[in-house]
Parts: sequence; C-alpha cells; structure tokens
Amino acid sequence: MKLLIFRILVAMSLLLVAACNENTGSSVNVTRPNKDPYPSTYLLPTHAAFAIVNANILTGDGKELNDADLLIENGKITAMGSDLTLGLNIDQIQANGRWVTPGIIDVHSHMGVYSAPSTSNHSDGNEMTSPVTAEVWAEHSVWPGDPQFEKALAGGVTTLQILPGSGNLIGGRGVTLKNIPSITVQGMKFPGAPYSLKMACGENPKRVYGSRNTLPSTRMGNMAGYRKAWIQAAEYKKSWDEYIADSGNRSLSNTPTRNLRLETLSGVLEGDIRIHNHCYKADEMAQMIDMSKEFGYEIAAFHHAVEAYKAAPLLAKEGICGVMWADWWGFKQEAFDMVRENIALVDYAQGCAVIHSDDPIQVQRLNQEIAKAMSAGNRMGLDITPAKAIRWGTQNAAIALGLEDEIGSLAVGKNADIVLWTKHPLSVYSHASKVWVDGTLRYDRFDSSVQPTSDFNLGIIKAGGIRP
Amino acid sequence: MRYLQVIIILSIVSIPATANSLLIKSVDIYSSSGVEKNTNVLIENGQITEIGQRISHTADREIDGTGKSITAGLFNASTHIGAVEVSAIGATVDSYSENDSVTASLKIAEAFNPNSTLIPHNRTHGLTHALIVPDSATHLFSGQVGLIQLGANPRVVHDSLAVAVDFSEYGFELSGNSRAAALVELRQALDDAKDFSRNRKSALAGDHRDYELSYADLAALEPVVNGTKPLLVRTNRASDIKNILSVAREFQLKLILSSVLEGWMVADEIAAAGVPVIMDPINNLPRAYESLGARLDNAKLMSDAGVDLIFTGMGRSESHNAYLVRQSAGNAVANGLNKSAAIAAMTKNPATLFRASVSGDIIVDEVADLVMWSGDPLELTSEAELVIIEGKIIPMESRALQLRDRYFERLMQ
Repeated sequence: MKLLIFRILVAMSLLLVAACNENTGSSVNVTRPNKDPYPSTYLLPTHAAFAIVNANILTGDGKELNDADLLIENGKITAMGSDLTLGLNIDQIQANGRWVTPGIIDVHSHMGVYSAPSTSNHSDGNEMTSPVTAEVWAEHSVWPGDPQFEKALAGGVTTLQILPGSGNLIGGRGVTLKNIPSITVQGMKFPGAPYSLKMACGENPKRVYGSRNTLPSTRMGNMAGYRKAWIQAAEYKKSWDEYIADSGNRSLSNTPTRNLRLETLSGVLEGDIRIHNHCYKADEMAQMIDMSKEFGYEIAAFHHAVEAYKAAPLLAKEGICGVMWADWWGFKQEAFDMVRENIALVDYAQGCAVIHSDDPIQVQRLNQEIAKAMSAGNRMGLDITPAKAIRWGTQNAAIALGLEDEIGSLAVGKNADIVLWTKHPLSVYSHASKVWVDGTLRYDRFDSSVQPTSDFNLGIIKAGGIRP
Repeated sequence: MRYLQVIIILSIVSIPATANSLLIKSVDIYSSSGVEKNTNVLIENGQITEIGQRISHTADREIDGTGKSITAGLFNASTHIGAVEVSAIGATVDSYSENDSVTASLKIAEAFNPNSTLIPHNRTHGLTHALIVPDSATHLFSGQVGLIQLGANPRVVHDSLAVAVDFSEYGFELSGNSRAAALVELRQALDDAKDFSRNRKSALAGDHRDYELSYADLAALEPVVNGTKPLLVRTNRASDIKNILSVAREFQLKLILSSVLEGWMVADEIAAAGVPVIMDPINNLPRAYESLGARLDNAKLMSDAGVDLIFTGMGRSESHNAYLVRQSAGNAVANGLNKSAAIAAMTKNPATLFRASVSGDIIVDEVADLVMWSGDPLELTSEAELVIIEGKIIPMESRALQLRDRYFERLMQ
C-alpha cells in the first residue's frame, strides 16, 4: 500500500504542473525537481518458464509447504502448490525434497561503499565532514565491482540495502540493489524501490563531532542537531508547496532555490523517503519516535537495535521494524545490553523483527544468523519454527524496505527471487545451491559458468576458479 | 502458560553443582578420534571414570542424553577475554599498549580480569579455555600469550606460552611500511636477544653494547631464541608466511603461525616445517592485499596437507563471542574439512599445544572438561545444556541471561 502511494507521488512529481499566470496571461510550467534523476536501468531478463518441483518450501511469510512445486514465468511466481499441472514446455528442476526459500534480504550493508580490499581509496561510506549530510546518496559511492557482492549472492542474498555509515546524525540516502553483476549501479538499482535516509543515534555522531569540538558532543546535542535539520526541512517543504500551490500567481523567477540536503529531508516529510535509523538503545528509540511525531514523519526501522527487546511493545505499537544482529555485543557501551533472544522477543511481542549483517562476512550466512536467533528463542521456551524464523530475513526485511508487495515471500505474483539449498537452510552445513533473481539463475554452486566474479578477481583467482 | 514452560526449561539445566557423580546416558561423543554413538559417560568427583554401553556404577544424578552430544570443552586460540570489557572504552582494554618501550615483555595475562562479563557469557555457551593474545600497537612484537580457564573461578593457566609478533600489513605499517624493513627489524631483535642471552650479566651491568629493545623485552625473547618458547606470528600473505618459515629455520625457533589467510597456497611448506596454525576458517574475502587468496576451504586444504589446525573465530566477535569458534568450525566442515579434525582444532589440538590442565578429549581417568549439546555439536540450533570445566559444573548464569529474564517477565505482564 505504502509502495503504491509512493509510486503515485513519484509519478505526480514528474508531471509538469501547468498553470496560467494571471499577470501576463501566459502559461508558465512549474515543476518540482526530478525525484528520480539516476533511474534504475535494470531490465527484467527474459527466461524460459520453469518449475521447481518436489521441494520443501519455507515461503518466507511464515508457512512451510512440503513436497510442493513452484512455477516461474516472466520473473514472477505464477503458481505454487502440490502436484501442479505443468505444461510439457516447462523445464522442471527436481528439488528431490531439498529446501527452497525466498531470496534473502540484507537491509543493512555497506558493500560497494566500503569495498574490498578495504583500503583508504575504497572508504566511500561516510561523509563525515558535517553532522547532517542528507545531500549525499550512497548510490553515488557504490562500486558495483566490489568482489564482496558475489559472495553474498553465493549465500542466497538477492536484495541489499546499501546505507551510508553512522558517523553523522543524518548520513545520507541509502539505496536498494538487486544483487546482480552490473557495470553501473543504475543496473543494480531495484526499480521503484523507495529511497531511504540513514540517521544515527548515540555514540558515533557525538564521538566524531565532539572530538572536533563541534555540535554534537552529547546526546542532547544529537537531538538538537536533528531537530534543527527538520525545522529547516519543514520550511523548505513549505516554500515548495506554496510555490506549487500558487503557481498560477507566480512567475518562474520565484522558483525556490534547490537545496539537496533539504530536498532529501523534505522527501521524508512528504512520506516518500523511509527513515532507517541506527539506534542501539531503547531510551533513544523513544526519543526518536517522539521527534518523528514532532515533525510528522515515520520511522521504518531501528538498525543495530541491540536493546529492541526492552522497547518491543513500543516498536510493535508504532509499526517500526527492529533490525538486529543475532549476537553481536560489547564493542561499545550502547551495545553492552545484548541478549541472544533479542530477535525472538521482538517477534514474540508481535513486532517486525529483522536480521541484518552490517558485515561482508555475515551477509554470506544470514541463514546461520537466523538459526542462532531462533535457537536462542527456543532455548527459553518460545516455540519458533524455521518457517517463522526465516521471515526475519525475508518478509520482515521486505517490510522494512517497503517492498513486501514484490519480494520477501514466495507467493503467486511475487518476484521469483528464490534460493534452493543443499540442506535445511538453518543448518550450518547448508549452502545455497541455486539462486534466482526475478526468475533468472544468477548463481549455481555446481556450475562454474553461473558463478559471477568481479573484474577485480581476474588474474588473482585462477581462470575458471572461484573463491569459495 | 508459556512462561511456565520457560521456567521449566530453564530448570532442566540447573543441575546441582554439589552432585558427586553424574551419569549421562545414551549420548553421542564427538572427539578428535571420531564419533561414538549412543554411549554412556560416568563422571565421579570431576573425573570421567567410565565410558561405554554398560556402566557398572550408579550415579547421584542421571541425564538422558538421547539425541544429544558431548564434546570436550571448547578452546578459542585468539581472544582478549579478561583484557577487554567494552572495546570502545580504552580504560577497559588491556590487550595492547601504546607505550613503545614495552614490546615482547608485555604479558596480557597480568591484566586478566576474572570478573569480566565476557567469561560467564562465553562459558555458558561451551567455551572452557581461551588463549589471550596481545595486539601490536607500536612495534612488531605484541607481547606474551597467556592461557586462561573460564571456570567458576576463572584463572590464568599459563601467563607466557609464546611471544606474539604481528607480521601482517598492520605490523609492516608499524615497521616503516615495508615488509623488508620488518624482516630486518625482526632478525635484528632475535640477534640482539641471542647476544643478550650470551652476555646477560655484562649487559645488565651496563658493560655491553646498546640494544634497540629494553632488557625486559630481550629477556622475554631469550626463551624464544633458545628454542624453548614458541614465536607466534600473525601473518597472511603466502610470501610472508614463507619468509617467516625461513626466519624460524635460520634461528631454529619453535613457531606457531596465526591468521594465515593464504596458508593454503603454502600448506605443504607449513606442514613440512611441522608448524601448527591458529586460524579462523570463516574468512574468505580479499579485505586486504595480503589476503587476496582468502578462501573458505583454507582449513580443509591445510588439513589435507597435514598442517595441525587450531581454531579461533568467529570474525570480529572473537572475544565477546569467543564461543562462536564453534560456528567457524561448522563452516570449515561445510566447506570440506573432516568433522573430527574440526572438533580437534578447538579441543585436543589447543589443549595439547598450550599444555592445558585438561586433555581436550573425552577419556576415562581424565578430568571432565566437557559440554553436552542439545544436538549435533556444530549445528547452530544446538545449545550447550551442560558445561563442566575442570570437573565442576558451571552455573548457567550470565549478565545477558539476567537481562533476558528481567525483560521477558515485563513482556509477560
């Protein structure tokens, strides 16, 4: 639903608002700045219709189907169920009882903006030159050739949200990518995906700027910094809204001056850019929620939400996803109160619990991170099935990105982002065997011709070889 | 109702620590020598006294081990446990020194804090021992390596098992940004230590030549150059590994390698030199130019070549979540390593090499240092249900568990 509204807004913004200027009697074209100036060039590849048959399926939205079939046509799932009647022209992939899940989604990645090797020339993820840099866009830093992307694909990850770092109060726009080889980032951009804006609570911004003796050096400084930015954004939005509303009485010379920083913040206030907020502590989450109400915007998710379990009912009530690790802790004071049951408890409280990696090693095995979080919950007596647990990296992750109508579950009409696993996906011994994005086979563990490798690897890894 | 169920489950694991004998029935034992399915283990006064299909004695307490498994207590061979509480708070971090006059002589074990919250957290998940390895901050030499035991009364088992050297890109940066300069510096220090050892008296009296390193640092290196204490060298690039192997030959050093992300490329040479390696099997990314060859089957390929493996891990959580060495080991198996070899790499191999007071094995007449897992010992859906460290059952208590229970109670209201 939100996605639909977003698309209408985008479409409207692209339309010229034609109005009549009463003073001159001539027509003046008044327009808002283009909201999609770096559009996705991803095109759905054509592929033959095929079916995966006799699979055990974790649908990604909480169900488990045994001995079921999936039919995939034109990038979409067109049928799912037991003993589907398949035409003779349909290629059949015999799963033989192996497990199938939706493509895994990582809502917090810095691949491409902190590429490997992690040398200073690849440090493109954090514009720490001012505490509010809403004007920067992560996609303008992404190196599509980062050799880390292909390893995440081999781990079954088909969609990634690439975010700026957390050194700033407001770090800039994130971008949602399809995890496919491309020379340009535009070729990876998920068509129609909403933009996100990275914000950061707590220790990082106050450390970065406090050490430079500039605001913020405290948590109250953090809050003052965000609020100042939202006040400016509200004024900026008002100036454009008035300009558009009064277009009939204005001449083009009245066009407000474009301000990239405020344009992004204003996009949040308009409801078409989603807030992804790095925020560890429950008390700070509550402050951020109050601030969102003060200025009239919504928060999509709190990331690295180590204390989400303390605020689980609040997050559930506000409809904000908690984006969490399975077990990371102790690297900062704000990450000291970790419990392994965090994800399970947020889920238990009916909240939107999401796993994330923030790490190019863990992104390769989000299925294992889900397994640990499920096991911790079951250890305390919560009854969490694999079908429920996998949601943390599929449907719930898609909700956090505003893409739940397209990805994150296997259902008729959804994108055919599919992983076939060698063993149960929550087993440490399991690997992604085949990975499809929009019905196109992008990775095959047992076929080196379907194992994309970055230009970077050529001459480093032997020809035809892979980096397991 | 659900809360009741939770209470019951928690109570199952609270086996009284006072029981003098414990029989675990119908359990699978995973050790370095393989799997023994469906057997029984009798533990009396902290010792394993019988293993087998038939047990002659009864016990104060019996546990049904059906579907469960036992391994020796886990070791992690590269941590800062007890020398770090919160990584970003310098006052709690004693794993390195910025004092450039303290290098090889730094003993991380002297900073060990037995009250660290990292200890209960890790032991409740099956970690019973850990190597604590200092990091370099000013010099190639990082300091001396200790071994700790994470029991109810955590202690330093050895305060100086080896002297650590950082011969990675980071160490080179400390050494004037050149591998070649780092090699000169390393050889010079070893030569100086030999010279100091031969002329100790006159040197200490001030009647001998000057050295770059302090007397304390040279004294710390003395057992290394005399071949009694290993040099533990962190290094990654294949050519760097070869250089270190040749320095070790030249000075007749005992050597342990660590990290070795490109170890598979020179596995035969490492094996021929009889050098054990400490490694995290999870690392497969070209995160640095010294590790362009990193790959997930590094452990398997080195094991195939005959290299003795000792594990650390996982990834960046090697201290706070040192118990996740088990996940790294599971991934090594997923990528081809033999399961017994993976178990050995976090039990028997480190216990033997680091002269622990436990065997790292499940053997009759040895002190019980073991974990009972709810399923396959490497599966992440298996939990540690019973942890015995040097003969004593440890309570399943930690700060994280207290936090969980406090907030779950509130959620239930």
